[in-house]
Amino acid sequence: MKRWVGWSVLTVVAVLALVALLPSWVPVSAQGAKPAKLVIAAVAGNESLGLKAVAPTYERESGIKLDIVEMPYPTLYEKLVTTFQAGAATYDLIMLDDPWMPKFGTEEWLTPLDSTYGFKRDPDIPGVIYDVGTWPPPRGPVPPSEKSKPKHLLGITVVGNVEMFMYRKDLSPAPKSWDEVLANAKKLNKPGSMAGYVVRGAATNPIVADFLPILWSFGGDVFDASWNVVIDSPASLRAVKFLVNDLKSVAPSGAENIDAADRSRLMAIGQAYQSTVWPGEVTGIVENPKVSKTIGKVGYIPMPAGPSGKGYGMMGNWLLAIPKASKNGRAGADFIVWVTSPKVQKAYAEAGGIPSRTSILTDTAMNDKNPYFAALAKSLDAVPNWRPRTDQWNAVETILGTNLNAALAGLATPEDATKKAATEIRALMKKAGY
Amino acid sequence: MESASDSRLQAGSASLGQGTREPGPLARQERLAYAILLPVLGTIFVVVTYPLLFAVDQSLRATRGGDFVGLRNYTTALENPLLYEALAATGIYAGIVLPAEILGGLGLALLVHRTVRSARIRMAVYVLATLPIVIPPVAVGVIARLIYAPGYGVLNHLLMLAGLVQAEIPWLSRRETAMLAVASVDVWQWTPFVYLVCFAGLQTVPRESIDAAQVDGATRWTLFSRIELPYLRPLLLLVLFWRLADVLRVFDHIFILTGGGPGATTQLLSVYLYRVAFKFFDTGEAAALAVLVMLAMSLLYATATRLLPLERD
Repeated sequence: MKRWVGWSVLTVVAVLALVALLPSWVPVSAQGAKPAKLVIAAVAGNESLGLKAVAPTYERESGIKLDIVEMPYPTLYEKLVTTFQAGAATYDLIMLDDPWMPKFGTEEWLTPLDSTYGFKRDPDIPGVIYDVGTWPPPRGPVPPSEKSKPKHLLGITVVGNVEMFMYRKDLSPAPKSWDEVLANAKKLNKPGSMAGYVVRGAATNPIVADFLPILWSFGGDVFDASWNVVIDSPASLRAVKFLVNDLKSVAPSGAENIDAADRSRLMAIGQAYQSTVWPGEVTGIVENPKVSKTIGKVGYIPMPAGPSGKGYGMMGNWLLAIPKASKNGRAGADFIVWVTSPKVQKAYAEAGGIPSRTSILTDTAMNDKNPYFAALAKSLDAVPNWRPRTDQWNAVETILGTNLNAALAGLATPEDATKKAATEIRALMKKAGY
Repeated sequence: MESASDSRLQAGSASLGQGTREPGPLARQERLAYAILLPVLGTIFVVVTYPLLFAVDQSLRATRGGDFVGLRNYTTALENPLLYEALAATGIYAGIVLPAEILGGLGLALLVHRTVRSARIRMAVYVLATLPIVIPPVAVGVIARLIYAPGYGVLNHLLMLAGLVQAEIPWLSRRETAMLAVASVDVWQWTPFVYLVCFAGLQTVPRESIDAAQVDGATRWTLFSRIELPYLRPLLLLVLFWRLADVLRVFDHIFILTGGGPGATTQLLSVYLYRVAFKFFDTGEAAALAVLVMLAMSLLYATATRLLPLERD
């Protein structure tokens, strides 16, 4: 009988202890020792193509197995945040989208690559690549809580994504401005068979990603240099009206629900004339001979200019970083050096990866195979904008993307949508101490 | 012959059952019962009680720093107008799916119960009804997207092929059609569940009662309302609560189909809660919302079980 009670109590205590200790109960290996494997949290999709392609070579050369754990975009962010909050050493390396850097940097979840592992700038890699991996940000407004922190390199770009512009070069010359984009779209728009411009208008992240380059080109912004919300300024409102009135009038029906895959599909089957585009869509769909009917017909250029006289591409780099909780930091750093080296980057790009080295992006042979490389090199040279460097960006994007989507669907006027978004973002930022 | 252990068992049972045990040490059987229960109770504590207490604790603390803030997270959550938009959307969604599923499931059960006599056909209907329930909600969302998506949606294609519409209907982009589209997925997946429960309930109605009523000239409606419905009432209430709780949890197919859009039209309470927790990472407010939802559901359930007759007449 006593045994029964004893075993039962022991079971309960064991279960409770297991739950309590689970986050910290991980295999330990010394920081400098060579581990048997490196676990990399990666985004599922074209962005991890290159990484997966060079993994066998790394395993052969180093004797370290690479365990690439792929997750869909929204899941990856949630998984990383909850893993870091729990202090778990689940991942040795992580792929992070550059708008996530403010959150991860503010929370101090990542290991500085410069002070810990001696990373230095490489002249073959554009400076903006290092800037986007640095926290606090080396330019633009800095969040109030981060102003006194020293700047450190926390991540290195492994996918040199910059949002560009694509158009059917067999149907018209390249547009130089958003006015020309609209004019060409009106000329070529045939409802049902050819969309003049594809608005990527699905709620939250998609519509914001499509809109920000337009917003900046029109002289608008979400915040000014002092974190004041200016999404309801006259310039910003003009950009919103351009998207939800002008561009929507030449967009396919159901624009409010179109995401990147739908847009690329329309381009690949010859039912769209132009749109913004991420490099991942080019390699995966538009220039993929297995699915595309428009190979050789699509041109790629940096973002057209707006009334401000300048066009702004948007950074969407994917970086490799080492979590502070990782037990294999040294091996992780060695892997980053290896994968970003010129030799490996060439193989990486040949396998469908999106490089960021200038020498590879401007290589003639590589350009023949990857028609968007030149536009990507120019976009990086022009120093593309990044999304506001605040750890509140995910929430800001959700608010802005919901209200823009409502305006696009005709549920709110552009004025009401921007006003509502501005009010909600102001309340959010105030609560966050801005 | 009665063994010593049998006598002890009887004594133990008496002390457990009568409630007249004299104060003193626990009987051996009683201690055994507690000992057997302990692992189960411990597991329940770990997977239910502890997370609940953790959520309550989190709802009383600041998201940043974890300082005790009293009911501030609750007031912030309740002052946010987006909460009421989400509640309204949830109400509309529930108003569409609950009647459709319950009436549809009940109607189908009555139809099969009264008209289908072949065991094979009944089995085939049973299998067909089970299929939607076992498909993962994410897969259901993807299938639904293939039906309603702009450009390549099957529904528009069929409607145009039949000449019923000339141009695509943007199902997921208009306020009314987007809500109907997401609700239709729920109705498709869960009406069969109501059917299965009601059909099982109808099998318990004594055949003699039906025969006697028919001899007395009872109409089909009288048969249903006077004989079958009393047997089904507790099951229907169970189904109602089950589905209501599910409506508050529904997430996957809405996230895949509309992402809560257009605007916040299909941003149901669960999607809103997800955004507060995983987009805004405001864990304090998210925990407060979760506790409020749990309290509201408990209150609703307690009131309903007192007011509504759960037992058969």
